[in-house]
Amino acid sequence: MSRAAVLLALLVAAAATAPRRARAQAAPPAPHEDVAWDFMNLLAEKGLHDLSNERWNAYGQFTYITSFKLPFAARYTNLNGSVNSLSTDYERSFTGSFTLFFGVRLWRGGEIYFVPEAISLRPLSQLRGLGGSIQNFELQKTGSETPDVYRARLFYRQTFNLGGKRIDLDSNPMQLGTTVSSRRFVFTLGNFTTLDVFDRNNVTGDPRQTFFNMAFMTHASWDFAADARGYSWGAAAEFYWDDWAVRVGRMLPPTEPNTLPIDFRFWKYYSDSYEIEHQHSIRGRRGAVRLLAYYNHVRTGRFADAIAAFEADPGKNAASCTSFNYGSGNFNAPDLCWVRGPNNKWGIGINLEQMVAKDIGLFLRAMYSDGNSEVGAFNSADRSLSFGGVARGWPWRRPFDLVGIGFGLGWISDIHARYLAMGGIDGFVGDGALKQAPEGVFELFYSVNILQAIWIAADYQAIWNPGFNADRAGPVHVLSAKVHAEF
Amino acid sequence: MRSSSLVAVALLAAAATTAGVARAQEAPPVLPSAPGFGVERLAPSAPGGGWLVMDQLDLRGPLAGAVDLTLGYASNPLRVGDARLPVVAHQAMLDIGASLSWWRFRVYLNLASPLALYGESGAAGGYDFTGSSVNLGNNPDVISDVRFGVDFRLVGRTGGRFRLGAGAQLYVPTDHKSDYASDGTFRGALRLLAAGDARWLTWAAQLGVHIRPRDDADVPDGPRGSELLFGVAIGGRVPLGRAPWALVLGPELFGATAFRAFFTRAATAFEGLLTARFEGTAGDRAQLRVRLGAGAGLGSFGSPEWRLVAGVELFTHNQR
Repeated sequence: MSRAAVLLALLVAAAATAPRRARAQAAPPAPHEDVAWDFMNLLAEKGLHDLSNERWNAYGQFTYITSFKLPFAARYTNLNGSVNSLSTDYERSFTGSFTLFFGVRLWRGGEIYFVPEAISLRPLSQLRGLGGSIQNFELQKTGSETPDVYRARLFYRQTFNLGGKRIDLDSNPMQLGTTVSSRRFVFTLGNFTTLDVFDRNNVTGDPRQTFFNMAFMTHASWDFAADARGYSWGAAAEFYWDDWAVRVGRMLPPTEPNTLPIDFRFWKYYSDSYEIEHQHSIRGRRGAVRLLAYYNHVRTGRFADAIAAFEADPGKNAASCTSFNYGSGNFNAPDLCWVRGPNNKWGIGINLEQMVAKDIGLFLRAMYSDGNSEVGAFNSADRSLSFGGVARGWPWRRPFDLVGIGFGLGWISDIHARYLAMGGIDGFVGDGALKQAPEGVFELFYSVNILQAIWIAADYQAIWNPGFNADRAGPVHVLSAKVHAEF
Repeated sequence: MRSSSLVAVALLAAAATTAGVARAQEAPPVLPSAPGFGVERLAPSAPGGGWLVMDQLDLRGPLAGAVDLTLGYASNPLRVGDARLPVVAHQAMLDIGASLSWWRFRVYLNLASPLALYGESGAAGGYDFTGSSVNLGNNPDVISDVRFGVDFRLVGRTGGRFRLGAGAQLYVPTDHKSDYASDGTFRGALRLLAAGDARWLTWAAQLGVHIRPRDDADVPDGPRGSELLFGVAIGGRVPLGRAPWALVLGPELFGATAFRAFFTRAATAFEGLLTARFEGTAGDRAQLRVRLGAGAGLGSFGSPEWRLVAGVELFTHNQR
């Protein structure tokens, strides 16, 4: 028996013999359980820390995901010098991330959070060929197998309580244990990610505990401002009034699409987000509805402009770009590099979550973006739909295990499709030709909790029409495994 | 001489001349590139350490902690060669740290981020220098070096005239040496720390070894391997009326010299900072400490012409 097999056997045995904890927990995976082994709980047990009224806290996490993509058939790959096809060969991808979360209370309602992070990664096909269904949400548009250490977040949050019911906020990563009012104003300023404030979903929860595919992390077609790692700088305001919440934020985009440098001219280029949320209860099961809209004014290229430029002057093709471009060698294709400038992009979406049983939650996200201009910061989909469910292993007496099933679909606009069909590429897709079709993903995962702080998960994904191209229909089968630890 | 010999000589001469012309038309020789290194010489004290660089060894109580944020600006910290080429002309850094202490022991973590590093490119001393060019827009999330540290107090007590401690630090490289933000190698430091208080007088000192693998002795003003660390701080503590605050004012002198060029000007960094700090003195509650420093380089290697430092620190002490 190989060492890997022995290790697997030991892990399975450990999982099977892990103590069954009887604490009921709602299906959404809370960031940290009260009974979890972590540093702050350890201090609290020793009487050295007050979890309910924290002045500071410190948490950490480690996540390793490895994915194996099986070979699939396609009519063509990287046709005519285009470079954004998903490889049809067997490939392995991985990410390993290590994060520390520090929080400090400065004064009443004033908190600072600092989150350094390290990541090592290897994407499939150099992160090319998948539009909205990238198989591992941890993948970044920069980075390498050599670990990068960077500052993921450094932000200030101020809460002004305005009355109403008292709400206890548990001690968690990026949340000091405290009590707030159900009516409050929260202001966040600094270096964070848009997803820290907007489009939260308690069923899909922390993706490090649930779905692997990026299609389930947020709306696949929400081109929220972020650098190549997914973080940015900006400000957000949240107004909570009992079951209602309204959020407004402005974040800064990258200087060029999908790159790391940030353009700090917040008056010139920006991504504004608006969200309204209502929490409800149906037959005692809680749920939420969120409506989200965004408006970007960023430096990108419009597909129609790129096509027009190429048709007017075929010398302005993808292979002859002289400014920022994605490296296509296709002389017979338009390219966005010729037409980049200030452009607007907007979208509107809905996010639903509903508990339907003690430990089973359902979710749905849908978004429509205008689809006139290229992806600036997230991924290539112009319209998206995802839905599914997550359940805890309570019925089989493993309440901290998680199982989930989800479907994700992404579409592109007609003008986006025409641009790709002419051989153009954007930040992630472009096979040199296109038979337009929705890109879809089916995902099934099971996550085993062991030792109160470690999860080991197995995952299967089937991805259809990668790059929105029915000529490369697939399905692409991806098998993945994950080790996630919290401390 | 026969005509054939004349022809041969003429051809050889022509060939030699042609070769000479060809050589003369070649591009000038390419100078080796200076590799860069971590130019920052101000290593902030451990979070909770009190001074900006020195450590007052105020370690007490069962569990305490501190977080700090230090901003610094240095003018011309690296000028190289006879022409004094300002390879790093402006350097602004942000350092964030956190520490936990348990009785006489402390562990801490510091993460430094360059906010701006600018300089000029050029040739000096047979090397081609590329001036640093780092800013927050191009490098929005960079962390230059991660510092892990552990300190412990060996002798003495809080408030006493003499305390002696020791500490170790490990630097993990996470940035590019070409930006002059990191050595690009693991580094370490072992230090003896001393401090004391006598009425209004407070002092601190350090002596240690900076274990530095980078040895670029051939490169003008480059690092020359491991160094001796030294420093001393002396100040007066003035209570601010009846408020639970005190002002500590005094100079800090600190530096490092490479062992292989012991106390030579080219391998010795030496700086002075006039430090003022306002700190809470209200016992068990979390206290704020605001630190300000201004000073100048007194040596050569990595010493800035002048420097400004500002820091804010939140710390707790258990009085038991």
